Amino acid sequence: MPDAINKVTIDMTVNGRKFRRQVEPRMLLVEFIREELGLTGTHIGCDTSYCGACTVQLNGAPVKSCTMFAVQADGCEVLTVEGLEKDGQLHPLQKSFSEHHGLQCGFCTPGMLMATHALLEENPHPDRYAIKKAIAGNVCRCTGYQNIIKAVEAVAASSKEA
Amino acid sequence: MEMKFSGQFEVSPPPAQAFDLLSDPQKFAPLLPTFSSLEMKDANTAVVKVSVGIGKIRGTATTQMTLKEKVAPKHATYVGTGKVMGGAYTMISSYDLEPKGTGTLVKWQGEVQLVGKILSLAGGGMRGYAEQQIQSVVTSLQQAMSPEYQKEATARKAAQAEKKSSGWMSGLMKKLRKHEEAAAAVEAAPEEAIDASALLAGYTGPAMDAVDATAAVSQPLNSFARNGDFSAAVASHKGDKWVHASLSRKEDGRLVRGRGLFVDDYKVAGMLHMSLVRSPYGHARIVRIDTSKAEALPGVVCTLTGKEVAAVANPYMQIGPGDAQNIKDYPMAVDKAIYQGEPVVAVVAENPRIAADAAQLVEVEYEPLPAVTDWKTALEDKSILHPGLGTNHHWHGVYEYGDLDKAFAEAATVIKIGQMDFHRFASTPLETNAVVATWTPFGGVDFLCNNSFPAIVIQMIAPSLNLSIDQIHCKTMDVGGSFGNKIGNYPYMALSALASRKAGGRPVKWVETRTEHMQAGGHGSERVYLDTEVALDKDGVITAVRAKHIDDCGAYPRYEPLGCVIWSQVLPACYKLRNIRIDFNQVVTNKGPSSPNRGYSRLQQLWFMERVIDICAHELGISADEMRLRNYIREFPYTTPNGCVYDSGNYPLLLEKAKELIGWDDWKKKQAAARAEGRWIGIGIGTTLDSGTNNFGQARIVNPYLPFSGNSEVATIKLDLDGTVVVSLGSTPSGQGHETTTAQVVADELGIRPDMVEVRTGFDTAFNSHGGHSGSYASQFAVTGLSAAHGACQKLKKEMKKLAAFALEANEDDLEFGIGQQGPELRVKGTDRSINYWGLSAMVNINTASQPPELADITLNIRHVYRPPFKIPDTDKKFGNLTLTYASQLHIAVIEIDTKTYVPQILAYAAVDDCGNVINPKIVAGQVHGATAHGIGAAMMEAYIYDKEANLLTSTFTDYTPITVMNMPDLAYGDIETPSPFSYNGAKGMGEGGGAPLHTICAAIQDALFDKGVVVRNTFNPPSDIYRLLKNPNWAECVKVERRAA
Repeated sequence: MPDAINKVTIDMTVNGRKFRRQVEPRMLLVEFIREELGLTGTHIGCDTSYCGACTVQLNGAPVKSCTMFAVQADGCEVLTVEGLEKDGQLHPLQKSFSEHHGLQCGFCTPGMLMATHALLEENPHPDRYAIKKAIAGNVCRCTGYQNIIKAVEAVAASSKEA
Repeated sequence: MEMKFSGQFEVSPPPAQAFDLLSDPQKFAPLLPTFSSLEMKDANTAVVKVSVGIGKIRGTATTQMTLKEKVAPKHATYVGTGKVMGGAYTMISSYDLEPKGTGTLVKWQGEVQLVGKILSLAGGGMRGYAEQQIQSVVTSLQQAMSPEYQKEATARKAAQAEKKSSGWMSGLMKKLRKHEEAAAAVEAAPEEAIDASALLAGYTGPAMDAVDATAAVSQPLNSFARNGDFSAAVASHKGDKWVHASLSRKEDGRLVRGRGLFVDDYKVAGMLHMSLVRSPYGHARIVRIDTSKAEALPGVVCTLTGKEVAAVANPYMQIGPGDAQNIKDYPMAVDKAIYQGEPVVAVVAENPRIAADAAQLVEVEYEPLPAVTDWKTALEDKSILHPGLGTNHHWHGVYEYGDLDKAFAEAATVIKIGQMDFHRFASTPLETNAVVATWTPFGGVDFLCNNSFPAIVIQMIAPSLNLSIDQIHCKTMDVGGSFGNKIGNYPYMALSALASRKAGGRPVKWVETRTEHMQAGGHGSERVYLDTEVALDKDGVITAVRAKHIDDCGAYPRYEPLGCVIWSQVLPACYKLRNIRIDFNQVVTNKGPSSPNRGYSRLQQLWFMERVIDICAHELGISADEMRLRNYIREFPYTTPNGCVYDSGNYPLLLEKAKELIGWDDWKKKQAAARAEGRWIGIGIGTTLDSGTNNFGQARIVNPYLPFSGNSEVATIKLDLDGTVVVSLGSTPSGQGHETTTAQVVADELGIRPDMVEVRTGFDTAFNSHGGHSGSYASQFAVTGLSAAHGACQKLKKEMKKLAAFALEANEDDLEFGIGQQGPELRVKGTDRSINYWGLSAMVNINTASQPPELADITLNIRHVYRPPFKIPDTDKKFGNLTLTYASQLHIAVIEIDTKTYVPQILAYAAVDDCGNVINPKIVAGQVHGATAHGIGAAMMEAYIYDKEANLLTSTFTDYTPITVMNMPDLAYGDIETPSPFSYNGAKGMGEGGGAPLHTICAAIQDALFDKGVVVRNTFNPPSDIYRLLKNPNWAECVKVERRAA
């Protein structure tokens, strides 16, 4: 194979598990997550980091995994939608999205969940505008965003009560 | 470059013990710094992978380490060779062991030879780096030979028995390595201290010994319930009736976990990936194609050109009449490309990245031809797209009803409106088109696809590939939105199938990139309205409309010219005029091919009529709401001038409700106050229709020779071996919740709970639950799909009753359905005699002896075809009922246009929907929200814009800017229910929304600029266009009024 691309070994903690893999330097983080780890909940919707279907949390912050190389996430902690459920219990956001019909086709949903999960970690009681800002970089073609906002508001309100 | 190093150290174990470790590559190799894996080639040779980092260069080195000399217990020599980042190296290390006291003295020598690019890349740091590496091997060796390590090794062995995931390296060794790596990184590039800490971060934390986990998902195996989440949703519902319950969806369980199965998520062994080389020109002859460089790239399996395709496949069936039948439409360009983004060469490779690389290596020589980018140039026929058609004028027909001459002669006012334009846009589903195709050893093709109308598509693909339809196995799973666009992805299905055939039957996956989707994935047609004339009586009631309409369907007609008749389902919109003449035309241009798009073809007509209403109202000084009330159709069922029957509706009530929701009177006051301050605030109304359940007989209006008519949908229902109720459908839901609503309907029919009904996911020809019209399009599932499921239930119930009557020795009329102690059952009313579903199934499937002959025909496996009561339309008069149900919507928007920036901002928005009896209110509201977002996006932000050379200027999301949450107003939603008399359940199909926001926003912008002498005559109104409009007031030029003496 002429000019074979040398692979790079990277270490990444994904959903609490340590992975060491050898990847082409040009492999995108989203490709790494989907192809190398088989976590297909993180989706690709636009290739230009407009749509946010590929949103994951990188060391806590929401990032668009189509706009990062896997090697850039070497040594980082990544949380994907598959990591939200704990001990067979859905995350309150996951439950709330379903209850408020905050998803239809479900393609944007993982990105929406990760963006709003990061928001609630940072600000457990966001107002409506803060919620909108948090998903400003996430496109949903089905819901018109109305019920996504409602779903997040409900989680924020219930944690306030608690 | 050659480097030599030497040194010595002492360890406490005796030479024999030290030699034991030193002379075993399996034990020695892991001591190499940044060791990552090891594979033994033979007893003396290990293939070792280490990751290497020098300054900014990082890479993986594979070293083959061979134990060359072994003299126990005195001497060992290792020779290592390998490649790293553009270089090669040889490393020789030898060790001489001498007894020293009770321990050992180890004398070592190291020699490293390096060749290649790495030297220049690493610069002068190489020697230091090499020395460091050798030093760290020595340190590791020293540590490994120490008693502390030996002790730990014993402990580790014991621990391993309990803990499978534990790696074999000791914690000590890891700590050692971590420390060294950090030091190396800092030293090699002191300015990159942060990188060093990032490097460290990878090695900290308690899960250290789980490094290199193989499974990304695994959880303790907890107990689980059938339909777990859905059962919880069902349990939280009060009452025992399910239709009309706002039930959370069954689909959500997998989707919120990221466990939906979209096409790109599907992987199968041996699967290849296809990438397409596409035409950069809008119109160009293909002079030469050279695929040799692409084919030479390792990992490429084959390429495919249009000529190869045309040699084995037939062009797709054309719907248009006459010479339109001579259009040659293949999945790839053959002699010339006629739109930017048309596939020219396919490349098939082992992974998507190799395929993309190889596509870059394909050489295509083009000879550009004159591009046709608008209807005017198209009609000039100077540059012809399809030689077989011989003109760009693809379709023409006149729709004329009533007595136009009389109506215009008697009119009190005639208003003439200049050119108006409906722009090109699409709903751009977030999941792009995708397919996995396999040419199977049985001679047919398997498709896992996301096409939303597979029943028609297999009728297109099979003749094209010389297959019978049964040889095509077509399946969908989760689909990431369609909005009609995905009806048009069948050329890619056929192309992937041919690619699979050429690749020896290996499965071929193709996933469209976003830009490919924007260029070629299906556009909504644009339409121009010319020579519009409106006749009105003295009260402002419209009596007649005549105009010429021209659709631009892009390069290939494909589903067209069906759009040339589908608009006439809503010919008069919501209004009672009886005299209408539309001269309808369609042209082809060098733009992306059209496909149906949410509100397909009807929203163009509805927008036209709403503009007519508002422009006339403005001219006559009648308010927008009053104008509508004077013109609305009020009695139902209502037969339109072209024979369509509006089943039910109450437009004045919709208006009243929407006014209430938005606070109409308040806004009127605020508007007056704002206008006094010089602000531009407008209030707009849009009334619209969502016609659902097509009569395919209308296809004969565009081409009398087509064989289609009516409509059909299929459902199967069975009692499975264990008595489970299993339903399969012919629809292809992409978010509409069919698994849930079907379960609601079946639960009510059988007196059970929705979580006791299994509704299979997606469409599958193997289910045998499809007919020729099956799919999800044209707002029809609540009528077609649910009628099919309902009909299937009735037949199943009849069979179940027969069986139960025999088993319980009862009269069929005395039986009732319900849930008993042993699950779903039939029981004799008022008694405790019952038989559950398992018992019934057993009588047919597993316990069949001693039954009377009258039960012999019972299968408990029903296939029901629902066929709505349509007649074939009169094709000469273009007359007939084209659609079964008419959902209606009324939206009101308040918009302020910034007087400095011309940015329109929505201040308030209300949407009221009427889709008859609602099956699941939550789902219906969600559909209204979504359709509203699409309409607002289209009216204000989204447009496919081409330049004169037919280059698409908005070919990424960044340019096209699909609407985001920041641009969406908070919607006030309301509904009314006028049950349809034509569906068993009183429901009407809905979901497309009739483009209400386009009408509403244009009306509101018009109202905001009411005194500026401008007329809004384009569906697309970004700030730049509003600016241009205000700079060139056009009302006087575009709107002419003739007032007749009474």
